Amino acid sequence: MSLPLLSRVLLGSTGLAVLIGATFALALLAMSDLRSSTNAQAHSKDVSTATLELERVVNELEVSLRSYFISGSAGFLASWRHARRTLPGALRRVEQLVESQPAQARQATQLASNTHAYVTEYGLPLIAIFKVNPEVARSDDASSEGLLRINTIRQELTNLLATEDRLASTREASAKREAARAVSVGVAALFLAAALLLAFGVFLAHGVVRPVRLVAAGASRVAAGDLSTRLPERGAAELHELTEAFNAMARSLEHGKRELEAQNEQLRQSERLKSELVSIVSHELRTPLSGILGYSSLLLKREFDEEDARRYLEVINEQGQRLSSLVEEFLDVERVEAGRIELKEERFDLGPLLEDEARVIGAEAPKHRFDVAVGDRPLRVLGDPDRLVQVYANLLANAVKYSPDGGVIEVRGNLTDSLVRVQVRDEGVGIPLEHQARIFTKFFRAEARESGFAGTGLGLAVSRDIVEAHGGKIGFSSTPGAGSSFWFELPVVD
Amino acid sequence: MASPTILICDDEPTLRELMRVSLGDGYSFAEAADVAEAIELAETVRPDLVLLDVMMPGGSGLSVLEHLRSVPALQETPVVVISAFTADRDHLAAYDAGANGFLKKPFDPDELESLVQQLLAPSN
Repeated sequence: MSLPLLSRVLLGSTGLAVLIGATFALALLAMSDLRSSTNAQAHSKDVSTATLELERVVNELEVSLRSYFISGSAGFLASWRHARRTLPGALRRVEQLVESQPAQARQATQLASNTHAYVTEYGLPLIAIFKVNPEVARSDDASSEGLLRINTIRQELTNLLATEDRLASTREASAKREAARAVSVGVAALFLAAALLLAFGVFLAHGVVRPVRLVAAGASRVAAGDLSTRLPERGAAELHELTEAFNAMARSLEHGKRELEAQNEQLRQSERLKSELVSIVSHELRTPLSGILGYSSLLLKREFDEEDARRYLEVINEQGQRLSSLVEEFLDVERVEAGRIELKEERFDLGPLLEDEARVIGAEAPKHRFDVAVGDRPLRVLGDPDRLVQVYANLLANAVKYSPDGGVIEVRGNLTDSLVRVQVRDEGVGIPLEHQARIFTKFFRAEARESGFAGTGLGLAVSRDIVEAHGGKIGFSSTPGAGSSFWFELPVVD
Repeated sequence: MASPTILICDDEPTLRELMRVSLGDGYSFAEAADVAEAIELAETVRPDLVLLDVMMPGGSGLSVLEHLRSVPALQETPVVVISAFTADRDHLAAYDAGANGFLKKPFDPDELESLVQQLLAPSN
C-alpha cells in the first residue's frame, strides 16, 4: 500500500514550513547581529563623549587654577570649584562605560587616580600656599609640576580614546562579517526554499493534477460511449481508490450495457417470434378454411350430383374439425403455460397405448414403416393417459413429417428400475446443430417453414410442459441428415 | 384444340380436388403433392399453367417456381401462386420469383376460374 496522498501533501507542507521558518530565523539572526553592531557603535560614541567631557572638566580644572594663580580672581576659584564638583560624575561615567573592557577599565582607574591626585596633591595644597605666598604658587617649579601632571592625564585620556577607537573598529568588522554570513546563509536558505517550493509544486502536479486529468480524460471517453475504458490502478492511496472506483464504474456500466443489449436482443427475438406466430397461426387456420369456404361456395353456386355434394359436405365437416382441433392446440399452450392444465391421476400401462397410437398414425402415413417394440413387462406410470398419448403422438407425427417416404420409424418402450422410457427414432432430415438448443421453444420452427414443413411450432413446447408436469424428462439426439431420436422418461409406479 | 393442361401442386388432397372442381371440365390435370413431384411433372407434362402452393413437403413452392423459370421450355408458363401466407412480403416474394398471379387461401373458386381463363386467353 502506498503512502496516502493526504499524508504526502501534509509531509511536504510540513517540510516546507520548517524550511521557510528556518530561513526566516536566519534572516532574523542576521538582523539582530546588525542591531548589536549598531549598539556597539552607539556605545563607542558614548565612551568618546564621556571621555571628551572628562577632558573638558580636566581642562577647566587646569585653566581655572592657572588663571586664579595669575590673577588671584575669586571668579577663577569658583570655576575651579565647579570643575571639581563635576569631576567625580564625569569620571564615574567613563568608568561605568568601560567597566566591561578590562584594559580600558584599568586605564580609567589610572586616569581617576591621577586626576584625583592632581586635585588633592597639587591643586588644593597650591591654592592654600597661594593664599599665604602667591609668588611660590606662581613659580616655574609649581607651574611645571602642574603641567607634567596635566600632560600625563591628557596622555591617558588620548590613550583611552585610542583604545576605544580600536575596540570599535574590531567590533564593527566582526559585526560586518556576521551580517555578511547571515545574509549569505539567508539567501541560500531562500533559494533552497524556493527550489523546494517548486519541487513541491511539481510533486502536486505530478501526484494530483496529472492523475485527475487522466481520470477526467477517462470519464470523457466513457461519456463518448467507450465503456471499455480502464485506468491504471496505481499512485497514492486516494488516487488508487479513485481509479479503482472509476474502473468499477466503467465495468458496471459496460456490464449494464451488455445486459441491456442482451435484453434488447431477447425483445427483438420475441418480436420475431410473435410475428412468426401470427404468420403460423394464420397459415394453419387458412388451410382448413380454404376447404370449408371453397367447397361451401361451390355447393351454393353450382349444381352437383348428390354423391359429389355429399362428399364435399364431408370435406367441409372434416376441415371444420381440423380447424377446431387447431384452435384447441393453440389454447392448450395457454392452459399449459398458465398452469391451468388439469391432469388426471391414473395408474396405467403405457405399453398398449403406444402400440394403438402407432397403428392410428401408421394408417394415416401409409408410406412410412413403423417398428414398435414395448416389451412384455407393463410400463406402469401415474398420470393422464390422454396427455401422455398426446406427447407420444406428437413425436410420432414429427417423425413422419420430417422423414422421407419409406423411412422406418422405430418406437421403443423400456423399463428400468425406476423409469419408463419411450423413444421414437426416425431416419429423417435431423435438426441443424445451431437450432438444437431452441427446438422446445414455443413457435420456434428452425428452418421448417422455409423447407415446406407445415406446423405451429407448439408440439414440442407443449410436450415438454406435459412431461415435466408428470415429473418426467424429455430430450433428443439428432444428426443432421441422418435422423432424430426423441425420448421421454417417467417415474415408474407399482 | 386439345384442352389445356394444368399442373396443381399442393400437399392437401382436398384442396387439389377443390381446385379441380372449381375449374370444371374444360381442362386436363396433373397433380403433385411435394416439391420433387412438382418439378418432375412440370418437366415431363409441360403444363399450360401451374397452380402452386408455397408450403409443401421437401421445400418451398417458390423454389419450384424459380426452377421453372430457369428451364427455357417452362420460362413462359403462367404460374399462379396460391398461399396461406398472405402478408405483403409473401405476395412480393411470389412476384419476385416470377409468378403471374397470386391468390390467397382461402380462395374464391370463381376467382380462381377467371384468373386461369384470363392467363390462358390467346392474347397472353
